[in-house]
Amino acid sequence: MKNQPSKPSDKILLVGFPSNGLVGTFTISYLVHSLKMELIGEIDHPDLPPALFVENGEVLAPIRIYQKDNLHVIMSDMPFDPFLAQDFAGSIIEYCKKNNIEKIIIVSGMETINRDPKAPKVYGLVTHPSLEKLLYQNDVSKFLSGSIFGTDAALISVFRKSRIPAVVLYAECHPFFPDPEASVIAISTLAKILKIHVDTKDIQKKIERLRIQHRNLMEETIKALQAQQEKQPQARAPQIYR
Amino acid sequence: MKKSDDFDIAFSFPTLHRMLDDVEQQILAPLSCLREVGYEWILEIDLPLVDKKDISISLDDNTITVEAKLREEYSDPLIYKSKFKYFKKTITLPGKADTKKITAKFERGRLVIRIPKIHLGRKIKIN
Repeated sequence: MKNQPSKPSDKILLVGFPSNGLVGTFTISYLVHSLKMELIGEIDHPDLPPALFVENGEVLAPIRIYQKDNLHVIMSDMPFDPFLAQDFAGSIIEYCKKNNIEKIIIVSGMETINRDPKAPKVYGLVTHPSLEKLLYQNDVSKFLSGSIFGTDAALISVFRKSRIPAVVLYAECHPFFPDPEASVIAISTLAKILKIHVDTKDIQKKIERLRIQHRNLMEETIKALQAQQEKQPQARAPQIYR
Repeated sequence: MKKSDDFDIAFSFPTLHRMLDDVEQQILAPLSCLREVGYEWILEIDLPLVDKKDISISLDDNTITVEAKLREEYSDPLIYKSKFKYFKKTITLPGKADTKKITAKFERGRLVIRIPKIHLGRKIKIN
């Protein structure tokens, strides 16, 4: 796999966590592996269930921090309940302030039941007008209307009140099944924004096996999303008010 | 996150069914979701590594069973020396189905079964 190292002039933080279709998890973890980013830390929380992952004999915490040049990554392999989502957002902004991060890019999935499965699209949502240019320059359609809840909403709420701008890339996906196919388009869009080359052949070869392998995580994520939606019933305004 | 274009369909999370793989019988439990949309239920089952010809669907009263043979063996990296060859799932529908009108479609490794409901109500005249 030939991947040019990323050297963005701005300090950028990429964030991925389990959400619709597990798009954020697939996209960010693939990028970390492709760019051979260095594991530099972990985020811990007393309310996180005691769980660790082992990869090639190395013990890994569920929420990890990676870095390569000016590119930083925070990714979680564990979905969050409503309370943890708030704390996660708080930790992210704290990290950004300490490390002088200039913008953050969150990758997530968007439920579109009637999407064209052969050509999923990526939509962008920005917290500050200064980032709108980024969407236009990279042919990312602007997300115009809909509702957001869960960890995405917690992060957007925190960043729209801060001086650090954030962009959320939403790839159209199946909301209830792992959708690595949707993450391929998210990886390409993210690579274009970061001006790097990422070969997606490796993930494309594994799409079907990834769908089987991540069934449990998808199930846990759906449960977490259900809990988050129940906590925020106002997220769904009745038709008459829209 | 959800685009507003889709709000014509009542938004709710689907009924999820707990997975239980059978290591001994080499059977995987696929992910599935059952949604109620208007006059029908839509049952979706994720069947990667499966070809259409290797799927069988059977119906017994209000229980649907889907079985499928995997195109190639699957080893779960989290289960030591595991080898799976099949998918199987049985789902009980929440109400009476119009069994003659059930249709199924398999595309990109996803099986979609549309199950019309039986309506037992009667029309009420408005005076």
